[in-house]
Amino acid sequence: MSVPHQDIAPRGDSPAAAIKPFQIRGRYFTAVALRPEDGPLDKAFYAALDAQLRWSPHFFDGAPLILDLAQAPCLSRPAELRALTDSLRSRGLAVFGVQNASPEQISAAEDAGLISIASGKDAPLNMDSGTKPGTRRGLPKKLRPPENRLITQPVRSGQTVVAEGGDLVVVGPVSSGAELIARGSIHVYGRLRGRAMAGAEGDESARIFCRDLDAELLAVAGLYRTSENLEPDLLNRPVQVFLQDERLCVEALG
Amino acid sequence: MSKDLKLEEPLGRVIVVTSGKGGVGKTTTSAAVGAELARRGHKTVVIDFDVGLRNLDMIMGCERRVVFDFINVIQGDAKLKQALIRDRRLENLSVLPTSQTRDKDALTKEGVEKVLDELRQEFDYIICDSPAGIERGAQMAMHFADEAIVVTNPEVSSVRDSDRVLGLLNSITERASKTGAEPVKAQVLITRHDKSRIDSGEMMPVEDVLEILAVPLLGIIPESTAVLRASNLGVPVVMDEPSAAATAYEDAVGRLIGEQIEMRIAADPRRGLLQRLFRRAV
Repeated sequence: MSVPHQDIAPRGDSPAAAIKPFQIRGRYFTAVALRPEDGPLDKAFYAALDAQLRWSPHFFDGAPLILDLAQAPCLSRPAELRALTDSLRSRGLAVFGVQNASPEQISAAEDAGLISIASGKDAPLNMDSGTKPGTRRGLPKKLRPPENRLITQPVRSGQTVVAEGGDLVVVGPVSSGAELIARGSIHVYGRLRGRAMAGAEGDESARIFCRDLDAELLAVAGLYRTSENLEPDLLNRPVQVFLQDERLCVEALG
Repeated sequence: MSKDLKLEEPLGRVIVVTSGKGGVGKTTTSAAVGAELARRGHKTVVIDFDVGLRNLDMIMGCERRVVFDFINVIQGDAKLKQALIRDRRLENLSVLPTSQTRDKDALTKEGVEKVLDELRQEFDYIICDSPAGIERGAQMAMHFADEAIVVTNPEVSSVRDSDRVLGLLNSITERASKTGAEPVKAQVLITRHDKSRIDSGEMMPVEDVLEILAVPLLGIIPESTAVLRASNLGVPVVMDEPSAAATAYEDAVGRLIGEQIEMRIAADPRRGLLQRLFRRAV
């Protein structure tokens, strides 16, 4: 039910010296979509809606909300749409637009002060067909798949491998001049000669594991050590690297 | 020439000879591999991608016969047939020289592709002699390659540059960008191998080089005065008088076309003696 909505920010094609009184930025946000079924917007509808709101009171507080009219082609009279908008707003729902609307519905929506959103796609949360009309379960905490990254080829000099969302696992050697960056931990099943930066967004529990240490640089959450200040007896051994009391520790494994 | 180029016929293989670092023996290798393939009966063309620093034609001994070049063909000023120089010693060997007066921006992807497609129809092997570096010339040389010979000297900077080039072969080539295509088959050729300098710790052992590069070994070419001699004469080293380097190139080419040849590291006895004499004299 997220509605990606993006403005394209113009690239700096004006002279850098000119100072504008405003900035234009691209925005990408999540909205809640309310998809009424085709039927009268009667007491039963609002009762079901209120029940839903009580079920998860804070979730909808001030949440940007879109009316998805895919299932309600008959909801096209301006008065009807305006009444629905008003009732939703009186419940604290910040309804601002419609999607999947027919041309007729779009003009009715414009009368009611709503904009029409052309693009946008549902988040992967499919509705069962038997759900009560007029309500959708609020978004449970999104169950995102783990965003770990697995590399099964040698990471060569000059290459940078980034695992933005999670752990990075490399099965193979990492050459000198190569760079590994991960939000989470880094695992290298091979010789680590390059640079490894775990916890790139500040995760202090992230660690670096490698089977054979010969790294140029090791960093966890911004604290780093270079090859020059690694204990020589740890070189060419399996090690783990972690933060303890604001210190970067390198410890032999096994 | 037929324009139905993408038939699944056994078309010529494009092999790039590359290294990253300069002076490691790319052009020598291109000439030697090209000549040896031709001598074995394969129709072979060697293309010089080092626009502006034309060398291949000198090493192949045809610099005085250059009229049109690779860039003329790309820009449509000459036909491919006019620019190809047939070797006088080996009838299966041709050279496509490059321009000495232009720069590497003259290489366009479309132009290179067109020339290579045309050459694939006629030749069994197309050897692309890459310039040093990883800029446009080198990228164009490797872009359409089916296989790569990565030339490396057994020393750290050369090995690191070769590693970088291997990364590029895996990421920016046509085969890398096509889903489902086999990656470029890369093999390393160690040149200027000098046993005594490896033993004294001045150079890296072969095992260390292979551990870092993690690709198959195509061959080991010993340091040899025969190489310099052959270049000065304008003769590919395999066509000059017998030498350890020539034998090593012959073996490497055998492996390149799929023969099982045991890896052996030869050294010129002549040079060893010379070296000893020098040492004594000092």
